[in-house]
Amino acid sequence: MSRVSWAGPLRAAVAAEVAKLCSLPAAIVCAAASLLVGTAIAGALAWGGSGQSVTPIGAVTAAVPLAQVCVIALGVLPMAHESDGSQLRTSLTAVPGRARFVAAKSVAALLATSVVGVLTVAASFAASLAGWAFGGHVGAPPHQDPDPVVMPLAGAAIYLALIGLFAHTISLLWARLAPALGVSLGLVLLAPPLLGASEHARWLPSRAGELLYTGATDHVLTAGTGAAVLAAWAVAVAATGLCVLRRRDI
Amino acid sequence: MRAFAGALASEARKLLALPGIWIAIAIATIGSACITAFNAMTVRSAVEAGDTSSLADTSAFEAGFAAVPIIGVVGAIVIGSLAIGSEYTTDRAEAGGGRQIATTLAATPRRVGLYIAKALNVCALTAALAVVSIPGNYALARELVGDAGVETVTLESGISRAGGAALYWALMALIAFAITGLARSVMVPLTVLIANGSLVSFSLLMRGVTPLADYLPDMAGRNLFGFPPEFTVEGGLAPIPGAIVMACWALGLLLIGGIAFQRRDA
Repeated sequence: MSRVSWAGPLRAAVAAEVAKLCSLPAAIVCAAASLLVGTAIAGALAWGGSGQSVTPIGAVTAAVPLAQVCVIALGVLPMAHESDGSQLRTSLTAVPGRARFVAAKSVAALLATSVVGVLTVAASFAASLAGWAFGGHVGAPPHQDPDPVVMPLAGAAIYLALIGLFAHTISLLWARLAPALGVSLGLVLLAPPLLGASEHARWLPSRAGELLYTGATDHVLTAGTGAAVLAAWAVAVAATGLCVLRRRDI
Repeated sequence: MRAFAGALASEARKLLALPGIWIAIAIATIGSACITAFNAMTVRSAVEAGDTSSLADTSAFEAGFAAVPIIGVVGAIVIGSLAIGSEYTTDRAEAGGGRQIATTLAATPRRVGLYIAKALNVCALTAALAVVSIPGNYALARELVGDAGVETVTLESGISRAGGAALYWALMALIAFAITGLARSVMVPLTVLIANGSLVSFSLLMRGVTPLADYLPDMAGRNLFGFPPEFTVEGGLAPIPGAIVMACWALGLLLIGGIAFQRRDA
């Protein structure tokens, strides 16, 4: 009985959040920018231009760190646009249960980042194959076996979905756009090179998560446990964000 | 002239009243001091343990300068971006989408003067930040490393690298200012410039495709930091031509931004 009373309203709340997200012009721009950045960089790197060309898979994995910036912006938006004026008050009037509100927002954000992640990786791979052929490379690219192709691509798509979700959970803590975006980008892009010399840098969200698609080896983490570390960051920050939101006077 | 001096003073007061600006100042000073302390203590403990194989060198200057191209540049970008982006932020959307720019233009109707006053304040604040942060980081690193390290950077080279870094910060802050003014939102410039300022750089990737990428603003000025070739990607424009190219980008974008600011509806 209690399951029914939770599932119905949650589904309705998720549907509402998805509809709100789809109506945001900035969300459409972020999704389009992710596809554009991914395809342009992967295509250009596989083509090579006046430099040395990169294999199609290498081009996609090189494009992911830049495409993630757009996915992070997309992840931050569902909460950031609520803080623009009184929309948060209206949303909480419609969905008074704050836990349900956060759950619905997070599911909507994960859906959006997953779809954009998959489309970005697929489009980037297609562009890199086109760039590889355009660069005058005769025959099929390396990695004929399906596994070496599928694993980094699937890993890249999962990474983009999770890193977008992580950025969303940060926006639960800092709802305004500039701080949420700044903290997310700082943790994902700036902290790893700055703390690169430390033994503990592997536990940073992006450093752990990127094992999903880079194929890099680590003494402690694997692709699976790296993804789990990234997901754990998202869950921990979301739980803190929910506690903060529950106590906040709107 | 008196009106311009008034605009300059009022814009300085507004700039320093923004919480985001103080966060940027804290990032560029306290944040870079934390990274400096971490680097300096790593150098000291490695020297004391007798194993410096994992370190490029044991220079106090390099330990204090490591945060300058990343943390310091982010601070400059945030200052440049917020200086004009805050004018377009809707604080109370329910009250007619109120944005501060309407009040600002009612108080200072001469738009060109206002735009120049804002840009000059961005320059002055970034330069002041560089004057405090860069020597401060060096002093901290020197105190923590002490006699354990071997200084590989001469006084002349250190001064010229610190000056180059300050110039890079100021130009990057102006570029962020101009792009934010054109976009009328902090989202795009913050996202693009912070990402490009990290190791995940679009310009750096494009350098593998075309040598013209060396003329992009961030790549053009990167040798102003003066890192030895073994610590950075080789090549690129020399510091002075690079600074000229970067300054041209900043001035060009400021010009376009200024024209748009003058002609567009607020």
